[in-house]
Order: sequence, then C-alpha cells, then structure tokens
Amino acid sequence: MGIIIAVISGKGGVGKTTTTANLGLGIALNDKKCVVVDFDIGQRNLDMILGLENRVVFDMVQVMDGEANLKQALIKSKMSPNLQFLAASQTKDKSVLNSDKIHKLVTDLSAEFDYVILDAPAGIESGYEHTIEFADRAIVVVNPEVSSIRDADRAIGILDSKSQKVKDGSEVMKYLIINRINPKMVQSGEMLASDDILDILNVPLIGKIPEDKGIIDASNQGKPIILDTNSAAGKAYARIAARLCGQEVPLENVEEPESGLMQKIKEMFV
Amino acid sequence: MFSFFNKKSSAKTAKDRLTIAIMSDRQNTDAFPFMDQMKAEIIEVVKKYMGVKAIDIKKEVEDGVEALSIDVQLEKN
Repeated sequence: MGIIIAVISGKGGVGKTTTTANLGLGIALNDKKCVVVDFDIGQRNLDMILGLENRVVFDMVQVMDGEANLKQALIKSKMSPNLQFLAASQTKDKSVLNSDKIHKLVTDLSAEFDYVILDAPAGIESGYEHTIEFADRAIVVVNPEVSSIRDADRAIGILDSKSQKVKDGSEVMKYLIINRINPKMVQSGEMLASDDILDILNVPLIGKIPEDKGIIDASNQGKPIILDTNSAAGKAYARIAARLCGQEVPLENVEEPESGLMQKIKEMFV
Repeated sequence: MFSFFNKKSSAKTAKDRLTIAIMSDRQNTDAFPFMDQMKAEIIEVVKKYMGVKAIDIKKEVEDGVEALSIDVQLEKN
C-alpha cells in the first residue's frame, strides 16, 4: 500500500498547489510511482501548474460516482512516466464529497501508487476535512507571515481531531514546509525566521523554500520549477522530495543570503 | 546592517503577537472535538429544571491550572 499525503495550509495563496505539483514530480523523478489528486472541487488549478489542463477528460468526482474508472481518468505526465494526475471537478460543488466514496478512491489509488498526494482546498471547511480524512501524513505549507501561520495552526488542530488515523488512536505524521522565504528580510529582522515559526507551530521541518521569481514563469508555462535544476526553489523542492523518499538530505540554510563579490555587485544594480 | 531609524524588528513583534493569538485560538476553539455535543447535553440537563437561553464553554489556563468555565444564560421568568 502506498502512502497517502495531504498537502494543507489553512490560508489560500501560500503555494500549496505549487508544492503539490513540485513534490509529486520530484517523487516521480526519484523512481517512485506517484499520483497527485486535486481536491479543490470547483477551483481546479493543479492541472494548469502541471501543464495538463488540455488533457482532462474525467475528474475525480466522476470516478467516485462510477461514471468513469480510474484508468480513464488518470492522466500521465509527459515530464515523468512515474507521475499521474487526477483532476478536481470544475462544475460540481464540494457537497458531493462523502467519506465512503473518498475512502474507496484513496484506497484504490494507494494500491497502485507508492505515493498518493492530495492537494487540499484552502480553508477549513468540509472540502478540507474530506481531504485529510484518510491521510497517513500531512505536509503543512506556510509563508513566514502572521495570517498564514495562524491559519495553519487551525488546520493542524482539525487534522489532529478529525482524521481517521486520530480517531483510531494513531497519529498523522506532519511535516512543515516554509515557503517564500526572503533571506534578506529575515537577516534584517523584518521577516519571521524559521526557528520562530517552529517554536510556534510545533511541527517538524522538512524544508525551506526561498522566494523565487521563477515560480511565476514556471506556472505560466505549466512546467514545475523543480525541472529548473539551477533555480533556488527548484533545488529546495528536489531536496524535500528526496527526504520524502527516505533519503537523508541535510537541511540547507536558505535564510543565509548569497555572499561573494559577484552577488554584492549584482545587488548594486537592483 | 544599519538603520537610520533604529526601529524594533517587526519579526519579533510578529512572533510575540502570533504566540498570544495562537494560544488563545487553541484554548477556545477546537480544544475539545466533542464540544458541541457536550454543550447540547448540558443544555438538556439544565432544561429539565429551568429555561436556558444560551451556553458558553471555555477552557481556561491560569498559572498552569486548566479549568473549564461554563456560562449558562437563563431565560427570564
């Protein structure tokens, strides 16, 4: 059985879908079979980030309702033969989700894939609760900013009280990703440092991602930034994907700004 | 790095404010997943004897002691 991982954040716009796409692809590039599922019913976006929006025929609600089978609905990524994608329904309402159907869907997926990654909707409503219901693990994405951290704490609270694992007396393993770190602002004390965030949230860190202008370009093109092996964010995602695959990769201090003469000269011009 | 205004770092302010806000969130919201059910049951018990208008339950922590404070608002006779 594969591992079911929910990607959550509480607040919207912190990079949850970008993270799902990059880690899904990163895991696949580590030779593991991986499926990413968009659980954001009515606001389908993961297809665009993966560059697969023109290939969606059936969505996950149709699979759950028996209108299509998994084979018909799963879309193979061109970027890795190990990566497949299941789209959210764009027309239906999140009220169509129910626990039994979701349990069947994720169980069927975990029988075929090593990693099943679920992209949760923002907020802490029913759509979110259904995404975390059968998760083995959760990746919590935050930005170093007060509203993101507070909302993440609420989402974690719900995860710790409403997931099936917790109801069964077990625990959902959680990992924290701090996204959009601006090293200069951390250095000057204008942005929360990752140690501060860890003090507050009490979730083990699995990676830090520096702010990277290339993210917009990557989403414009539908090519996750992990494919750009020179980019700071791409490298950070690759390290996290390797950690999720069980490799020991030391945490890099992305909060330390680049040093050296060239960097200083570059800075004079920006 | 030097600053002309020597202002207090705002990251420190953010951490202090967040710590307090999150502590209070954790105490008052989903501290108990069974809160709604417990509320409903307490209302039922009190209703046997008198009219109840509203009920508010809070977990409070003071000097390391945890307490449950239950406010029952009665209906006017």
